[in-house]
Amino acid sequence: MRVPFRVGFEQRGETPRRLSLLVPLASVFAALFFGALFLVATGHSPIDTYSNMFQDGFASFNGITDTLALSTVLICTGISAAFAFQMNLYNIGGEGQLYLGLIGGAWAGIALGDHLPTLLMVPVVLLCGALAGAAWIFVPAFVRSRLGTSEIVSTLLLTYIGASLIKHVIYTPGSFFRNPNTSFPQGRLVADSASLDSFGSSRLYPTFFLALIIAVALYWVVKRTEFGYRINVIADSPKAAHYAGINANRTTIWVMLISGALSGLAGAMLIVGPYGKIEPSIITLGYGYAGIVVAALARNNLGLIIVSGILFSGLRVGGNNLQVTTDTPIHIGVMLQGAILLFALGGEAFRRYRIHVVRVHDVSTKKVAV
Amino acid sequence: MSNTSHEVAQRSHHTSGATSTALSAHSIDKKFPGVLANDSVDFDVRAGEVHTLLGENGAGKSTLAAVLCGLYQPDAGYLTRNGKRINLSSPRVGLQHGIAMVHQHFRLVERFTVSENVILGSRDLPFRLNRSDINEKVAAIAESYGLPIDPDATVGDLSVGQRQRVEIVKALYQGAEILLLDEPTAVLVPSEVEKLFENVHAMTAAGKSIVFISHKLGEVVEISDRVTVLRNGRVTGHVSGRGTANTKELARLMVGRDIELNAQRATHATGHEVLQIRNLSLVVNEVSMLSDISFSVHAGEMVGIAGVAGNGQRELSDTIAGLISPTSGSVTISGSMTTDRGPIKAREVGLAYVPEDRLGMGLVPSMSILDNLLLTRDRQLVVDRVSVRPEAARLIEQFEIKANGPDHLARKLSGGNAQKVLLARELSGGRGATKLLVVCSPTRGLDVGAIETVRRLLNDARSAGQAILLISEDLDEVLSLSDRVLVLYRGAIVHETPGETAQLSQVGAAMAGLASEGPS
Ligand SMILES: Nc1ncnc2c1ncn2[C@@H]1O[C@H](COP(=O)(O)OP(=O)(O)OP(=O)(O)O)[C@@H](O)[C@H]1O
Ligand SMILES: [Mg+2]
Repeated sequence: MRVPFRVGFEQRGETPRRLSLLVPLASVFAALFFGALFLVATGHSPIDTYSNMFQDGFASFNGITDTLALSTVLICTGISAAFAFQMNLYNIGGEGQLYLGLIGGAWAGIALGDHLPTLLMVPVVLLCGALAGAAWIFVPAFVRSRLGTSEIVSTLLLTYIGASLIKHVIYTPGSFFRNPNTSFPQGRLVADSASLDSFGSSRLYPTFFLALIIAVALYWVVKRTEFGYRINVIADSPKAAHYAGINANRTTIWVMLISGALSGLAGAMLIVGPYGKIEPSIITLGYGYAGIVVAALARNNLGLIIVSGILFSGLRVGGNNLQVTTDTPIHIGVMLQGAILLFALGGEAFRRYRIHVVRVHDVSTKKVAV
Repeated sequence: MSNTSHEVAQRSHHTSGATSTALSAHSIDKKFPGVLANDSVDFDVRAGEVHTLLGENGAGKSTLAAVLCGLYQPDAGYLTRNGKRINLSSPRVGLQHGIAMVHQHFRLVERFTVSENVILGSRDLPFRLNRSDINEKVAAIAESYGLPIDPDATVGDLSVGQRQRVEIVKALYQGAEILLLDEPTAVLVPSEVEKLFENVHAMTAAGKSIVFISHKLGEVVEISDRVTVLRNGRVTGHVSGRGTANTKELARLMVGRDIELNAQRATHATGHEVLQIRNLSLVVNEVSMLSDISFSVHAGEMVGIAGVAGNGQRELSDTIAGLISPTSGSVTISGSMTTDRGPIKAREVGLAYVPEDRLGMGLVPSMSILDNLLLTRDRQLVVDRVSVRPEAARLIEQFEIKANGPDHLARKLSGGNAQKVLLARELSGGRGATKLLVVCSPTRGLDVGAIETVRRLLNDARSAGQAILLISEDLDEVLSLSDRVLVLYRGAIVHETPGETAQLSQVGAAMAGLASEGPS
């Protein structure tokens, strides 16, 4: 097969600053355009669909509160991913750590019963969830820092085990976490003192503000503290870290534990918030994996996670509501989310490389893209 | 640096093969945030000549070279190739026009063979590679320019000089007519420099053009047909005709004043022992890197370690700095045993250390100058940048670092300015007062003005009673500064002599492994 031209990638000597902003925006638009093609092909109006999505995701009371509610979880799993990624530690098992957060939080919520007041109980539940998430990543963190074993594989494998664990504690008769009063397998509700109230008629819980505070606090930690300084040195130059006497092994373990704790916290937030129990359907929702997308959209910049978390949640809420409000299949929403991720990652190529189309019979090159 | 006149005489019988202009740059502007790195620069190179770019650190030499090869696009101005206007949108387009750059930091794949590296990135390879054909072609190119090299050797096993040769062969294989060499000699030992210059002559004789960048004025006088001097991004001087310049003149053109790089030695009686090394040995993967080294450095004394690169210098300095645990033996710094105690301990008892590898080890490239100054300091739980900022500004001024201020990122500094940041940090004291200063190739990549400053600072430190261990491949530097000179060969000290009476020939012979006298 002969093609008259060929596409060439050239590494850029420098990335123009305007591209850093342009590329994410263009990625979202390209994804929307891509989705529009599918909508047209399946006989839907893209304009109506998108305006419905926007309406349901951002522009109505229920829409925006649902979006912020979802973003509570996704901001946590997003910083969990970004915090590790920025140090080149690829914890892609946030999903599994979130399951464990659910289990840890539910355990505290049930076992500690009504012994503590809400003001104490909720923090204890959240803490237990975070600890459970951290515990779930401890072994990957340890072998990574000591033996260099890939954390990508180990954290992912543990996610599958985590999913089995969720099923086990719910479907096993007589399980501590299973509701003893119904024959239908369900999670056992946590104590009242471990449940927060949502705001008014919305499904938004005060944990949203906790997520914001954590995002800001972690940003501050990375920018301003000694711990953050170490992270930055190791991320950029392990040799310089060694030279300066910075213990990379210890920092690696800590960063991974914190990353795991954040995903675990996301799970526990579901316990004190909307769920109140272990909801086995969690293993189909992929909130942990969505955190990876949120981190990628923010290019692992902790300062941008709040924005990308809310945007992505809105897209998801709007997409999910499509099926309710119109006859558009839910998969359109899911597909759009995937498309945005692909375009966002693909857009990186434009930031790092200059793209040419070269005519094969002609030495001269024509620049067609930025 | 004083033997240039006979070199000039020797060179002058060479006929200048330069004729037509091969590549020219017309009023090039290149801006970076806060600096105009090139300010309407006119530059041209003819076929068959060596045209040298000279200038202080941060003058814009590397930037101009990057524009000439297509790595950077100029903000204004244009290039012409053989009189025709060209637009180099990338280095690959540059290559299509026969322009190639050999970077100071090589871009070779260590696990690949020489041939594999040479053909890497070529577009017109057949689907099935015929290795013996390629090997033959690579060997033929290498041979014709006097660059003998084994096409099947693994690059990871080659010395720095040989790797540079691979880069040059690669450029020639890709059809380069114009080669840009950015500080090629900074990483070479004298014998390798000689070899490189022979290659350069072979290439110019074949009609190729060389753009050469170096801070070593003796070399510049020796190799250049023409010299263009840059200062603050602008062309401020020309010298044309081989042998018409001497090093003093060039220095004056560059920095606008006379430079004195005279030998200076301790005027102080040396004090107590600060660094004590006893029977130090290091074996890595069953290869002996250091064998039974013992010596000491006293307060107010500068001990120089001479030797060809790769004879254990890096291992020795890293061991003293606590980065490597020796197999046997001990390191004691001002009375405290620091063997196996790590770099922080060594610094706490008074060590400051300028490593060989500045951007790889000594500095964190993506961090600011300010943050880099904090690297070897005591940092509080919440890093206090506010109180360090004035000091950073002061050091930038004192060391004449060309930067937009303390927030300038290290990787965006010119090569010499990065080195100055590293020196500024280590010479200005860190955790506690510096008692021992270990400096490796401190003036590499610095312009003559900066070299003068650094040498003065080293002398000041010595006068202030610090013990200094100077490890350098620059024999001139070691001989002219040190109170005592030790020669390191294959991990052992094979020669020791007082600096004042050191004989160049004896030290040179010892460096080559022909020591007549063991360590005393
Ligand atoms: N990518 C960059 N971003 C911002 N500033 C830069 C960048 N590259 C170079 N500069 C600045 O441009 C100026 C010229 O740099 P350049 O590297 O060309 O100097 P040079 O003459 O090669 O110096 P040296 O002898 O130290 O290598 C310097 O002030 C430097 O700080
Ligand atoms: Mg340079």
